[in-house]
Amino acid sequence: MREVVVAGGGLLGWSVAAALRRKLPALSVTVLPLAPPPDALVERIGSTLPSIGDFHHDLGLGEGDAVFGGGCSFRLATEFAGWTADRPPYVHAYDRYGQALGTASFHIHWVRQTRLGQTAPFDAFSAAAQMARAGRFILPQDDPTSPLAHFGFGLALDPVRYPQMMRTYALHLGAQERRGELAGVRLRGDDGFVEALDLDDGTSLAADLFVDCTGPRALLRGVLDQDFEDWSAWLPCDRLLLADAAPAADPSPLDRCIAHPAGWSWAAEARARTSHGLAYASAALGDDQAAAMLQIQSGAEPAAPVAIRQGRRPEPWLRNCVAIGDAATMVEPLEWTNLHLAHSAIDRLVAMMPDRDCAAVELWDFNRQCAAETARVRDFLALHYRTSNRTEPFWVELRQAPPPDSLAHTLRLFAERGRLPFYEDETFSRDSWLAVLLGQGVIPAYVDPLIDTVAPAESARAMAAMRDTIARLVPALPTQAQFLANAQRQPAR
Amino acid sequence: MAAKRVVVVGGGTAGWMTAAAVASLLPGRCDVHLVESEAIGIVGVGEATLPHIRSFNERLGIDEADFMAATRATFKLGIEFVDWGRIGDSYIHPFGTFGPGTGEIDFHQFWLRLRQQGLGVPDLDHFSMACTMARMNRFALPSTDPRRLESTFGYAYQFDATLYAPYLRAIAEARGARRTEGRIVAVHRDGESGDVVSVQLEDGSRIEGDLFVDCSGFVSLLLDKTLGEPFEDWSKWLLNDRAAAMPCRTEGAVTPFTGVIAMPYGWRWRIPLQHRTGNGYVFSSQFLSEEEAMRAIEAAAEGEKIADPRVLRFKAGRRRRSWVHNCVGVGLASGFLEPLESTSIYLIQQAITALLELFPDGAITGVERDEYNRLIDLEYDRIRDFLILHYHATERADTPYWDYVRTMEIPDTLAEKMELFRRRGRVVKYREGVFLDASWVAVYLGQRVIPQGHDLRADAPSAESLVAGMRKLAGDIQGIAAGMEDHGAYLRRYCPMREAA
Repeated sequence: MREVVVAGGGLLGWSVAAALRRKLPALSVTVLPLAPPPDALVERIGSTLPSIGDFHHDLGLGEGDAVFGGGCSFRLATEFAGWTADRPPYVHAYDRYGQALGTASFHIHWVRQTRLGQTAPFDAFSAAAQMARAGRFILPQDDPTSPLAHFGFGLALDPVRYPQMMRTYALHLGAQERRGELAGVRLRGDDGFVEALDLDDGTSLAADLFVDCTGPRALLRGVLDQDFEDWSAWLPCDRLLLADAAPAADPSPLDRCIAHPAGWSWAAEARARTSHGLAYASAALGDDQAAAMLQIQSGAEPAAPVAIRQGRRPEPWLRNCVAIGDAATMVEPLEWTNLHLAHSAIDRLVAMMPDRDCAAVELWDFNRQCAAETARVRDFLALHYRTSNRTEPFWVELRQAPPPDSLAHTLRLFAERGRLPFYEDETFSRDSWLAVLLGQGVIPAYVDPLIDTVAPAESARAMAAMRDTIARLVPALPTQAQFLANAQRQPAR
Repeated sequence: MAAKRVVVVGGGTAGWMTAAAVASLLPGRCDVHLVESEAIGIVGVGEATLPHIRSFNERLGIDEADFMAATRATFKLGIEFVDWGRIGDSYIHPFGTFGPGTGEIDFHQFWLRLRQQGLGVPDLDHFSMACTMARMNRFALPSTDPRRLESTFGYAYQFDATLYAPYLRAIAEARGARRTEGRIVAVHRDGESGDVVSVQLEDGSRIEGDLFVDCSGFVSLLLDKTLGEPFEDWSKWLLNDRAAAMPCRTEGAVTPFTGVIAMPYGWRWRIPLQHRTGNGYVFSSQFLSEEEAMRAIEAAAEGEKIADPRVLRFKAGRRRRSWVHNCVGVGLASGFLEPLESTSIYLIQQAITALLELFPDGAITGVERDEYNRLIDLEYDRIRDFLILHYHATERADTPYWDYVRTMEIPDTLAEKMELFRRRGRVVKYREGVFLDASWVAVYLGQRVIPQGHDLRADAPSAESLVAGMRKLAGDIQGIAAGMEDHGAYLRRYCPMREAA
């Protein structure tokens, strides 16, 4: 393998180029910086998961580069409001919730105490969830005994500066840029491999491997086939509206997702902007009505609505063309997985880079891992809908469709036993699943017998102590604005 | 809530591991009753284990030195495979990593790159702490500091299984398990649900239960004989169906590894304990008679024999489901995989762990059964492929037996894994499962499945710096191992066996 062409000029295309140059310096990498279309969600959704920190680290980007150079700020958690009619909002942080006691995991104790009617909400036992609620932020502490040691944090990206930073970095690492518009995709006659991209200036770009970062239409990969696995039975929103409002003076590290009669809306504060959005089903809510709703929430004028079709290409990599980002998988931004899935595919591409023949067996392993990973992300998103008890037709209809088998198994096992099955390639940790399941009121009918060795009074004492420690620590921490100001004064870590 | 009556059918390793774990970890919730007959022998021969057993013992609060003394145990750092790829070959499948075990790129990728460049680097096992210690007959407990090379190996035990069961029995009984001696002559089921209600003994007495654990060994009294659960037969890939076992006196050093030596029609084990060495020829009766096998093991085993060889019979495969109605099969009653990679006790342990976590409350619903069966199937299926690899990845053509396994059709799941490795040394990653990357790498390379390429990321460092780094690493490992105590001396100091009663 010698030459790679990356089609797509947003943050994704440049991230692919930077990763390839950094990890596989023997490859020559050329980016065709096509402007990302409005429905390329990887480019538009600013909230990201903690895995972005690992991605930057592997690329040799420090926190200072990304945060200060790329205009990012920090995010700790998401609050979900209105997803179940009769329960208070809950917070999903990327944290350890509570600590195991005796031979049983923490949530088993929490369930037992809940049954006895004597405990605080599940998120009261996560320091990051409480920090987020209080608008506070610090980096995880090194001391493993600290309750502030076990959380992860995502970044809120600046939609303008972050792609610029990534482009600069990729060029610095030796990626080439070739400007132009795509006029056609030329295939080799004998085996159907992509031979070259024809550009509008009459020239062409040949390569051994083509990476398609052109968004849902998959301008390259879509030429090879149009197979698509549709997830709309479980993820019913087919429209997205976005509106950017002025940034808050002290941006909260807590994003908010609020369920509506025909979808849900979000508000995510960042240094660069406050991003608002509304995901909805066009059959249940008109575009005008949706725009009016989002305008009221955001106080800003929404952009034109974007049609989305949730699902994935069963084989993102075929022959010598691999789709990454929205070209491979398209999901609504609930739980902010869009860029995470793309980063994960980039890591896989780097680790599995084949020879020029792109042998089927190597592609098979790449596609297998992508399939396993995206299936569980789909399950996790569908979980939010599935366990809602809202009574509007949009919500009721959706609960009538049988869930995917792996989610059905998860729900059944959890509802009856309080246990989570193991799956390979899981994006969200057990604590994340627990935060949503318990937050949405899925209380197991029966708990793990291994808890018997600890008496309920003992659980209660230990749990009160954990909660008190968190409640005492949080108010002393800086707000996000204070933290950023301090960090900027100090030399970058 | 009334305590659940758990009836364990059969003693032996599986039965007493189950009874001890349930009695210890679910106190008050269960009433454990084990039925066994001294007239029925147990299969246990010298038993080699995997590192997982340490966590089982720990959960039960077992003191390591005490347990090792009681079962006349030795330490095990891996398995030496002799004559597998070709006659004359030898490699060790270690418990632990190759290289320092850190970094995002597998160590063997750098090693492959240098080899493919034609640069002289030592064999891969020089970069494994466990292999080096094993070859030098040394032992020390691993460090818990992940920055130290001393943390890059794990260990298990080799012990006398006929002593492990009584050791666990004492623990189980001290924690409230009851034992009844007797042969089961009938099993009674509920006419409506089909669940097992009781087992009846020769004297006419019945033992009733809510949950039955079938530890009856190959007999599979509940799963097979009573409930008729079908057996999935894997013998077209795993031909061996007999073992001729024979204990000998130990001669020479007590090695901290199990020996697995390929034979003309199968393989033989060599498991050193403190007081004797277990030997056995695992073979296929299609190719070799029992008499011939007994003669062969007598001829091959080193050391004076303590008893005559005896033959065990089995078939590779598993029950389609391991938990049916209110009966859970643990150990041989649920399936059998030959002990080539020491998985027998591991499979028992995984079954018990799953049972504890899914222990039913009130009526048994499908959900815990399904999850249990899913977990057990996953374990069996992955081990199956790993075992088949040992037979298929060979150049041996000296007997019709090796011709068959070398050329047989293998499961697609394994064929894909092998092809991936052949291309550029990639190992299909699992986060869970018993054999992780280093195990697969050890067997592939040890049996001459040599990749054509390598991970391109391994090209980044200069050849000179890699060669120098590898030399230093091999030297460091050698130096650390040389400073460790002799394995036999360690045993005599740490856990000398008790004199026979």
